[in-house]
Amino acid sequence: MTSMTPGTAEFLLAFADDEHLMGQQHTEWIGIAPFLEEDMAFASIAQDELSHAALLYAIVADNGQGGPPDDRAIDTLAFDRSAADYRSAQIVEVACTGWAHALVRHWLYDTAEELRWSLVDGSSLEPLRDAAAHAAREERFHVRHADGLIDVLAHTPDSADRLADAVNALLPLATGLFEPVAGEAEAIEAGVTSAPFDTMLPEWTDRVRARFPEIDIGAIAAPAYAGRAQRHGDFAALMARMNEVRGIDPTAVW
Amino acid sequence: MSTITVDTTLLRDAALGAVATVDDPEIPGVSIVDLGLLETVTATVDGRVAIGLIPTFSGCPALAMIAADVEAAVAALPEVEEVTVEWLRSPVWTIERVTEDARRTMATDLTLAVRVDSNPTPCPRCGSPTEEKSEFGSSRCRAVHRCGSCLEVIEVMRDR
Repeated sequence: MTSMTPGTAEFLLAFADDEHLMGQQHTEWIGIAPFLEEDMAFASIAQDELSHAALLYAIVADNGQGGPPDDRAIDTLAFDRSAADYRSAQIVEVACTGWAHALVRHWLYDTAEELRWSLVDGSSLEPLRDAAAHAAREERFHVRHADGLIDVLAHTPDSADRLADAVNALLPLATGLFEPVAGEAEAIEAGVTSAPFDTMLPEWTDRVRARFPEIDIGAIAAPAYAGRAQRHGDFAALMARMNEVRGIDPTAVW
Repeated sequence: MSTITVDTTLLRDAALGAVATVDDPEIPGVSIVDLGLLETVTATVDGRVAIGLIPTFSGCPALAMIAADVEAAVAALPEVEEVTVEWLRSPVWTIERVTEDARRTMATDLTLAVRVDSNPTPCPRCGSPTEEKSEFGSSRCRAVHRCGSCLEVIEVMRDR
């Protein structure tokens, strides 16, 4: 198997960082979700996102060779880079402000993520193609879960208001997911991914409009990209939280 | 280097038997082989055994424990010189891989059902249709249902 190009590694790191931070954000609800079923749902969804991140970091770590995952190398990529070296979109960095915020972010992110994995399900990079097969199956659960909750909550006035506030707050950040990442053109050239992610923005926009028909979402047609190059103000606190236990002994075997 | 030559068919069968003694840590009493996690077993004449497993869901937290249990079980065979255990990237596990034996044991001993199609999953206690109460249960591969007849809350293993 040929090794992958540096551009492909850049491309995969941005994807991995989004998955990693989204998974970490979801774990915040473990033990404090509004009801028990949600506690378990967010734990399971977080587990999936962290696993997708690990699959992607593993590909970067062994240069696309498809060998057994090296947990230490995965952790090094996930935790030991400087803030400036992350490529994450700001929607996965921003601190959660409440349950509606968490739910809307979950829906916006997973709807985009499902489209994102679909671009690599025929990848020339075999481990990425295999990861996409796992992720595609798991993502269906996520979108279905978020849809089910929003279906219920959208019909009570207080909940509908909270959802609308969250959509308005998160939409500008959510479009940042589609911001072209370094290496994407190279990854397309190599057949690693089939098209620029932002070609999926119209499809995602249609789904957002169908999901939140009463909300004015005109702004998403022209996203202002700039988020991946710089960290959101909330990133540092998230990193500190993520490393709180690991920092006690980074060489510990789990 | 070992000079002993082993019968690879016998060794492979012995290794398979050893793997079959390993239970899923989250489903005690049910072998990982019966859950469909075993994908490949290879054995060489110099006693090297390689086991390939597949996870139910990619982020299952029991993977390291299962691999360690499998390695220990196979390594305990006298004719084994070396064992490697690997989690394979493909194929993707499906619920159809769970054997009838495992389904019976789970239903009887653990009130754990298996959902294989879109029909209502029958209650493992009374056989009546159950209704899904939560898509996510106590582990990633399980949903929570309730029986409409006996009202038992049951966990349902499922893949999609």
